Amino acid sequence: MIVLTTPDVPGRKIVEVLGIVRGNAVRGAHLGRDISAFFKNLVGGEIEEYTKLLAESREQSLDRMVAEAQAKGADAIVNVRFATSEVTAGAAEFLAYGTAVKLAAGTA
Amino acid sequence: MNGEPTEEQLNAMAYADGELDDAARREFEALLPRRPDLAREVAQLRRLQVLARHVAGPEPMDTEWARLAADPLHRGGRGLGLGLLLAGGTGGTVWAAIEILRGELPIWGKAGLGALLLGSFLLLVTTIRARARTLPFDPYTEIQR
Repeated sequence: MIVLTTPDVPGRKIVEVLGIVRGNAVRGAHLGRDISAFFKNLVGGEIEEYTKLLAESREQSLDRMVAEAQAKGADAIVNVRFATSEVTAGAAEFLAYGTAVKLAAGTA
Repeated sequence: MNGEPTEEQLNAMAYADGELDDAARREFEALLPRRPDLAREVAQLRRLQVLARHVAGPEPMDTEWARLAADPLHRGGRGLGLGLLLAGGTGGTVWAAIEILRGELPIWGKAGLGALLLGSFLLLVTTIRARARTLPFDPYTEIQR
């Protein structure tokens, strides 16, 4: 599966648009990580606990979007975008969305 | 994995890579609920795929983080601190609950408070149990950034 942020696939022709595909994930850190993050927030620097939390959500939402595209029989997802929001304190929500397309065989 | 992979393991690899056709994929997916060992195998393969996406080289700080993580004083201090904090919080909560229940509250108040505490405890236990059950099938837990 080709996953791109651009509207086209260089060298390939889009022959069918299958529609929007998306995947979202909301993940939380366990209490130990939240406590550790709280103390790191007091002294500054990177809070790896939350970097990790966001990265986990990012990858999971990406996989869910790809799974939906695969179910639709897509060859590629173009115009992929990411969005975040905060549903509840200490949790990370990531939304990945894009347009699933079918590509012509060979090069354009 | 020892020696040659079995046919089921090969199917698990093909499934994780999205290489099975529709019929074979459905057949394999029907097998998964009855075969937790195969489901675990698929989860392990997906974990590797997720990690394999991260091709960025290490950052300058990484070696220092690794040294710090291996430092017994740092590990011990963090472990002890967290343990004391959780033990103190749990002990304090239990003590406060007992004191309130032993106090002058009317019986309906005690019943309500008891139900609240018991309900919270049951929800916590079932949530921890659910997480422990699903953790081996979560391929995202080893991602660092």
